[in-house]
Amino acid sequence: MPSDNLPFMFAAYAIVWIAFCIYAFFISRRQQELEQEIMLLQRRLDDANTDASSKSA
Amino acid sequence: MLRCEQHDMSDIRHTKIKGQWLTMRTMLLVLCGAMMIGNMYLIFMWVPTAGLSSGFHAQRIFYIHVPLAWVGFLAFLFVLAGSIGYLWKKDYRWDALGHSAAEIGVLFTTLVLISGVIWMKPVWGRWWLWEPRLTTTLILWLIYVAYLMIRAYSSNPLQAARYSAILGIVGFVDVPIVYFAVQMWRGIHPGPVIGPNAAPSSLEESMSTTLLFSVVTFTVLFAFLMRERWSLIWREYVVKNSVRNTAFSKHRLDENFSLGDS
Repeated sequence: MPSDNLPFMFAAYAIVWIAFCIYAFFISRRQQELEQEIMLLQRRLDDANTDASSKSA
Repeated sequence: MLRCEQHDMSDIRHTKIKGQWLTMRTMLLVLCGAMMIGNMYLIFMWVPTAGLSSGFHAQRIFYIHVPLAWVGFLAFLFVLAGSIGYLWKKDYRWDALGHSAAEIGVLFTTLVLISGVIWMKPVWGRWWLWEPRLTTTLILWLIYVAYLMIRAYSSNPLQAARYSAILGIVGFVDVPIVYFAVQMWRGIHPGPVIGPNAAPSSLEESMSTTLLFSVVTFTVLFAFLMRERWSLIWREYVVKNSVRNTAFSKHRLDENFSLGDS
């Protein structure tokens, strides 16, 4: 029955849930990238400290 | 000196996700998921279908439309708090709070506008009307999109934080205007069903119960998203600052050693 407006309800809920899923995916991907950046930074810091200690020795 | 400049390499240990936080995060996520399932059950299985004047099944959009609007307002209140806090304390944590809340607020307000026009088409017969509530909500959305654009396109982060904080305070003036727009200008949008200006017993009991549950559920979702986004923006800042300071320290170190060698 077209007058029950079911497609409108379906469209609204689908758009809202798709938007939330995209946003959650965006946050999760950014978190993964940040973890990688932190690991890289720690490695650089360790390297810098090793260089400094070898130079001072 | 701004306090945000003091966060450096020593803060990097705080950027790691701690066990306690992970537990709290998981609990919030599980609670949010369980409440969302319960909410969908109430909306689709429990609450009766509305009559012709409300749009039959299209009326069920109301159970997400109102909570989305409520969370949008709440997010902009956080932007206001973050903006005042940043201008007062000059601490980047407040700026990160405002930034994350603005992003979530824009997301929820976008969905309010979309869900609203989808309901409007079968009930009012049009995709858009320059009606007071709709127009003021669109203005609200544009204000906070501008807030995010300032942050995205400014080359100076401190200037962006200051300008966006000012916009975050001034922009909040539109929130009560949106809420009271129906009464002030007698538009055709239905009046408030929650808050201080709500008409008493404007809804059936099952409908008001479902709406209340939905509002609480979306507030929990907001709390989860807010915690995630705020922590992410803050950690991004600390990492960026650490990279800059590490490069600077290394440069100074090399300079000192080269001077010592000569």
